[in-house]
Order: sequence, then C-alpha cells, then structure tokens
Amino acid sequence: MKKEHQTIRDMRTLMLLILVAGFAKAQTVYSSTKAHVKFFSESPLEDIEADNEKARSLISEKDSAIVVSIPNIAFKFEKPLMEEHFHENYMETEDFPKSMFKGKIVSGMNFQQDGTYEVQVEGQLTIHGVTLDRQLTATIVKAGDVLTVKGSFLVRIEEHDVKVPSMYIDNIAEEVTVFVDFTYEPYKK
Amino acid sequence: MKNAFLKGVFIGVFGLFSTSLLAQDDLMNMLDEEPQEEVVSKVYATFKGTHLVNANTIETVKAKTLDFRIIHRFGNIGVASNGGGHTLWGLDAATNVRFSFDYGITDRLQVGLGRSTTREHLDFSVKYKILEQTSDDKMPITLDWYSNMAITPMKDVNNYWDAVTDRMSFAHQIILARKFNKSFSFEILPTYFHRNWILQNTNPDNNAQETNDILALGLAGRIKITKRIALIGEYFYDFSDYRTNNSLNPYYHPLGLGVEIETGGHVFHVNLSNASGIIINDFLPNSQDTWTKGGYKFGFAISRVFNAGRK
Repeated sequence: MKKEHQTIRDMRTLMLLILVAGFAKAQTVYSSTKAHVKFFSESPLEDIEADNEKARSLISEKDSAIVVSIPNIAFKFEKPLMEEHFHENYMETEDFPKSMFKGKIVSGMNFQQDGTYEVQVEGQLTIHGVTLDRQLTATIVKAGDVLTVKGSFLVRIEEHDVKVPSMYIDNIAEEVTVFVDFTYEPYKK
Repeated sequence: MKNAFLKGVFIGVFGLFSTSLLAQDDLMNMLDEEPQEEVVSKVYATFKGTHLVNANTIETVKAKTLDFRIIHRFGNIGVASNGGGHTLWGLDAATNVRFSFDYGITDRLQVGLGRSTTREHLDFSVKYKILEQTSDDKMPITLDWYSNMAITPMKDVNNYWDAVTDRMSFAHQIILARKFNKSFSFEILPTYFHRNWILQNTNPDNNAQETNDILALGLAGRIKITKRIALIGEYFYDFSDYRTNNSLNPYYHPLGLGVEIETGGHVFHVNLSNASGIIINDFLPNSQDTWTKGGYKFGFAISRVFNAGRK
C-alpha cells in the first residue's frame, strides 16, 4: 500500500516537472513594441511608397515561431488618391483587412546570446486573401531583452491575385519591395 | 498503478508536444486576443467624385490637387419633347456644356469655378467637409457645407437688370452622407437657393407668385456593382408653390440616373436626366422637361484629377 502511494507521488512529481518545464520555456515570448512596415513600388511613371506603423508581431523563443499581423487600413501614402485606390481597387481592404505572416525561424538564431544573426525564416505569407509559402531572410539583433528584426523581401502582386488594369501597368510595379523593421521586448500580460 | 503512471507521463508529454506543434497558431491566437488599439480611419470613397449626375457629393478634391471636369448634356431623347430620329435622339444638340476646375486647398476645403452654356453662367463655389465618417462609427456621417455664386454675363436684351448684382444667384447646401457598406452610399442635400432678380410670374392654377428664394431637398445615392463600376441616381424636390402644378409653365423635379466608371485618376459618367441645367442655379429653378414625355437627355461627364504642388 505504501509503495503504491509512493508511485503516485512519483507520478505527480514527474507531471509537475513536465508542466513546469513547459511553462518555464513558454515564458520567453517577445512582443513587438515598435513595428514599421513599408512597401515600395518603382515603375517608369511613378514611385509608390506606403508606411504602416500599426503592425504587431510576436516571437516565441521556445519554438522560434514568429507571427506578424498588419492592418491594411493603416498603410499611409503620400498622395491621398493613391491611398484610396490602394484600399478600394488593389488591396480591397474591406474584404481583406489584414496581411499576415505565420512562420518559424529555421536557422541562424541563438536566443541565449547577444549578437547579430542572419536568420532564415520559413512560413506562410497572406496578402489579399492569398496565402503563399515563403522563405525569407532577416537580420535579428539581440541586445539583452530587446530584439530587433530587419528585413526586406519581394512580393509579386500577381501571385496574390492583385490585378492591375492594363492602362496602369506603367504606374504600378509587378514586384513590390516590402521592408520590415520591428523592435521586440519580452511579452507582458 | 503502473498504468496510471504511464498515463500521466503520456498526458504530460502529449500536452507538451501538442503545444509546440501548434505553436504558430497559438502565437497568432495570442496576438489576436491581445487587447489592441483599433485602427480607426476615416471612411474613404463614400463617393468617387465631387458630383453625381448634377448633385454635389460630400467628396472634396484632396489637398493640392486639381479636378478638371467636362460635362455635356445633349438634347431630349423622346419624340414628344423634340427628340427622336431627326435629332438622333438628342445627340445633335449640345443643350448644355460645362467646364469646371475644383482645387483642394486642404483635404477638407475645396474651391471651384465653372462655366456653363445655360445662361452663360459663371460660377464660383466653396465646399468644406465639416465632419467625416469614421470606420468605428463614432462619427456615423460625413457633413459638408457647400455655397456658390453664379453670375450671368448674357446680353441684357430685355433690359431686365439694373445692376450687376441682378445677374447673380446663390446656392447653399448642407450635404449629409453615409457610406452604409462598401457598395452603398447615400446622401441628402437640404438646399437653399436665392436669385437676386426674378421675372414676376404667377402660377395661374394656384395663384402662387414666383419667389426669389427656393428651398429644396435633394436625395442622391451610389451603388457599386463591380470594383470600378457604379450606378448613381439623384432626385431634387423643390418646395416652390409656383412650380407646383403650373399648367401654363410646367416645372418638373430633376431626376438623374447614371453609370459611373472609375479608372483611377479618371472618373467617367454616362447619365440620363430631365434637367438641362448642370449647376443648382440652373437645374433647380428651370427644369421644364419631364421623363414621362421623353424629356430626358443623354449626358456624360469626364473628370481628371491632377496633382499640383505635390512631388
């Protein structure tokens, strides 16, 4: 009888240990405190640039997961008419309010040590309701509790089902460059 | 008991494993559940241009941009109103042509000038956006003020006018609009119109005198049918006894219907209207054709927006 109690106690201790271990690891989630997303379209007739400061992102140290959510309505353009056309005709913001990235830092990162890391990120990029698997590169700087992530990548707008009428082919680039510059601090509830 | 032990380990390990398997989704959920500041924006594109068929919209030309519009109204289409095949259903006639320039001083303040065939009217206008509808509906409507002054430089063959001011008329409007959803917008336009000089006429049917002032209410809307094509419509009801059931000199409420095609930078309208006038100062007091007798005219409007003073 006593032995049985002992076994139960062992079992409980083990479960607790597993739980605590899992919990302790899950604690290191970094949350964006500053997020700047910018895109740039360069074409023969005009350059189009937009900034968005309202994106939010989390990085989980435990499994190197990274997620980014960008409210499309917060993209600001230099010309108000461009902004209206972006929302109404191209991004169709009312139908597709968010652009998203959901992925994993697959290599190059060490969360235990301060430094500058060139990392590979793999995941799904969702723009205009179309999700594509993407492999991206970024630079992560870890300085104490603070992470900064910088990177740029190309988006072929056609792949995301964004259609440009033929008369504006010369105004809007087929490939748009997206720049990201995020700062993270440990997540606080 | 050994079973219970294994079960415990299993649950613990499985729990750990499943959380890491779904980590990205969990993280996304975490992001979504996090209390977030809602991105409140002004509602854009309640209407696509500064005008529908004739009616002003709450849209103003954005800061440092110039909107050049060419509006053309042909002749009556129906045979009963001198249309039909002999005038190619009104296309032979240029009943009214208007050129206008509207300039945005700020994103909310617009000034404009225009010239119409009808009465050779030159008009100067100002439109100001007082309230703007927001995406969170804390402000559910957009409210504009519009005022204009029109002056006719016509030759005074009948010696009507003693002073230059006799050639002037003024229109003031409050425009109240709401974009109900991404494809439907509606506005109402309480309108006060004043002419400094009028012909002293009487409606023989109700003995009502022509008046310098006319009050009217306009209703106008837009329904988007594709990303770039919309149906537009408008109606103006005037509260003028002189214009009500006047058998000697009949008047009809202006009703306009049209299709709006937006191509980015250009907005193109084709429309039908019983009003030959294009500005309030013409269509409100002087719409004497009726849809029921074929008195509607084909018209079009082209708007081109230029950036001035921006890079």
